[in-house]
Amino acid sequence: MRRSAGLRHFLLSWLEPLSGVVALAVGWQIASMVAANPTLVPPLQTIWGALVDLAHGDLVNDIVASLFHLAGGFGTGAILGLLLALLCARFELVAAVIDPIAEFLRPISAIAWIPIAILLFGVGQGVPMFLIFYASLFPIFVNALDGIRRVDPTLVRAAEMLGASRRLVVTHIVLPAALPAVFAGARLSLGVGWVAMVAGELVGADTGLGYRIEYFQEFFSMEGVMATIVVIGIIGYLLDALLRLLQSSLLRWSPAHGGSR
Amino acid sequence: MSPAMRIGLPFAVVAIVLVAWEIAVRASHTQGLVPLPSGVVHSALALTEDGTLFSALGSSLERVVIGFAIAAAIGIPIGLAIGTVPVLDRTLRPVLDGLRGVAPIAWIPMAILWLGVRGDAALFVVAYAAVFPFILNTSEAARRIPRSLFHAAESLGAGRLLLIRSVVLPGALPFVFTGARIAMAFAWGSIIAAELAIGIKVQTARRAVAGIGQLMVDTLYVRRDVDALVLYMIVIGIVSFLIDSGLRRAQARLMPWTQR
Amino acid sequence: MDAAMSKPIIRLDAVSKTFQAPRGGGMVEALREISLDVRPGEFLSIIGPSGCGKSTLLSLVAGFLSPSAGEILFEGKPITGPAPERGVMFQDYALFPWRTVIGNIEFGPFARGVGRRARRDKAGELAELVGLKGFEDRYPHELSGGMRQRCALARLLANEPKVWLMDEPLAAVDLQTRIILQDELLRLWGDGVESADRPTVVFVTHGIDEAVLLADRVVVLARRPGRIKAVIDIDLPRPRAPLRSVPEVARIVDQLWSVIRDEAAMAIAEEGN
Repeated sequence: MRRSAGLRHFLLSWLEPLSGVVALAVGWQIASMVAANPTLVPPLQTIWGALVDLAHGDLVNDIVASLFHLAGGFGTGAILGLLLALLCARFELVAAVIDPIAEFLRPISAIAWIPIAILLFGVGQGVPMFLIFYASLFPIFVNALDGIRRVDPTLVRAAEMLGASRRLVVTHIVLPAALPAVFAGARLSLGVGWVAMVAGELVGADTGLGYRIEYFQEFFSMEGVMATIVVIGIIGYLLDALLRLLQSSLLRWSPAHGGSR
Repeated sequence: MSPAMRIGLPFAVVAIVLVAWEIAVRASHTQGLVPLPSGVVHSALALTEDGTLFSALGSSLERVVIGFAIAAAIGIPIGLAIGTVPVLDRTLRPVLDGLRGVAPIAWIPMAILWLGVRGDAALFVVAYAAVFPFILNTSEAARRIPRSLFHAAESLGAGRLLLIRSVVLPGALPFVFTGARIAMAFAWGSIIAAELAIGIKVQTARRAVAGIGQLMVDTLYVRRDVDALVLYMIVIGIVSFLIDSGLRRAQARLMPWTQR
Repeated sequence: MDAAMSKPIIRLDAVSKTFQAPRGGGMVEALREISLDVRPGEFLSIIGPSGCGKSTLLSLVAGFLSPSAGEILFEGKPITGPAPERGVMFQDYALFPWRTVIGNIEFGPFARGVGRRARRDKAGELAELVGLKGFEDRYPHELSGGMRQRCALARLLANEPKVWLMDEPLAAVDLQTRIILQDELLRLWGDGVESADRPTVVFVTHGIDEAVLLADRVVVLARRPGRIKAVIDIDLPRPRAPLRSVPEVARIVDQLWSVIRDEAAMAIAEEGN
């Protein structure tokens, strides 16, 4: 009894998500038959063919280039955001200058900076990197500052009472306490940053997955465009899953994130 | 710190930076390559006078509003459905997550093909960007409604439709509004991107349909007017800021218990 | 008692503390001219109605706050800030949620630069001493209230402080757990064992019977502003744990209750407004 119920549960946990994907694929295939125009709605087998071609060709290079843009921009944005948050929490004067500027810049979407980025860096890696940098800076800054300001003062007192130096309080109390908020910001900015990066590569770079879309469009290869879209979707999904995994393993101590045993 | 200083200090810092910038650009004779603060003011005056700026802004905002409305009309029902029916959630979630991972911009070639360059392609991109915050927040809201409310309503003899109208919607409204706020920000951000991308592709898309993104492409590639480009950025910034703070204020007034 | 003859380990000399009330309110006088000598090795309880400044007093001795007037001396020297020699146990435990039981216990030695091996061993011993063997790798949110309290106690002990400052440490646990933890606390302090290097305890509580059962002396604070109303010697033999049901204890509790009853009634009346 128990075993068959477990098996049923296991099968369902795979079948249910799969059926959603299958439904989407079937819907697309029907649309392509109705449209009867392989350019307008390329049928699945054509897209698959393009995907295989891509995999034999430039796919790895494109993915590596995109991930490189992502790592560079996200890394610098996260570090700067964290540093600014620490400075703002420590010095009221810095906060008084940074806060209003950040409040004004924050709602501007990263993508809107594309023309300026092209102007500043020229077409190339600089554009997507700058856009991810910009997209990750503010969510991480705002969330980190919020997290740092909400640190339970009793925990700081407890650490001081136990003999912790000022530096130790920052590295071992303030930062870990702010970590859940920083992670929330990081996930947000990775989502926004991924989108901004594709846009930046599409119009302002000569490498990466976004550029590949642009490239296929030049040759009017819509199955190529669709194949690249599929790759972008899968990688975007995997990145978020990776961050979620990291979140639940790093925040195992937090009742809200890591599951209790 | 006194309130006067709190307001004055950032202004003072920005003003000093701007003056230093102006002096540096003039001293190094790089006008035209690097934007000049006084040049930005010049083009602001010129462009508001001939009306280009406002008409572009108007057509961009129009697309944002329509795209936003389409996203709401699609996203809220889907969100309610997957939030209240667990099977739908388990089947559709991976598909939605996958689609969400695709940058809306990536659809531009397809959208141009399907809907044409005359603004409709940009509409598609806007709706695509804005639909996911609606879905996510509405489903999350529906899921958070206590089961006991359902049981109570059911035991009173309420059918499924009445249940949704009288229990699910009111309980979910604050979350949906938060979703709408995010969706609006996404919509406004992606209209510019879409117009940019389309504008770069189709230089022939002329004034009649030009939004602010197309105007930027024109400025960057055709007229190479760096000062105007910075002006557009500032305008975009101001509009972004106004949209964001306006919706925040609306939320605070309509639903004072949901301040997040 | 010969302890009375020795030099005080903590001396409060006419200590006052006033706060700026939040949101533009005036100044609030929390403590007024508190003078008190704490003898080395004694167990001192502080009781009083809510709002009498018990916790403020403890924060002053811990070094988290500094007095508005007067002076606090520790072993003859003014207190300038928190230090490991004065360990604090907080009302809500204040365990570091991102550190395991062992990680919390070893934080003090870690902060003072003790090597990894040595502090791990010590933390393991302490975990066993307070009855947390087998729970070393749990996070605080995975522990019960009583276990969190044991962990906080072990963390305090790891630094071998001369003074234990305890702010209503047993307020948040249920009655049975509280009784067990009271006995444990007495055992760890060295109840009934005469020794020269026994730590000094300043124990803030709102339970009169708890104060009587544990302490050598009970300080009763009055409220608004907080000031010393009475200091009462508890002349019960040690060890105390077996005395829980002795009528003598009930008599002293009654006597203390009559001292603070009026204050408590006033506190309730004011909270009602």
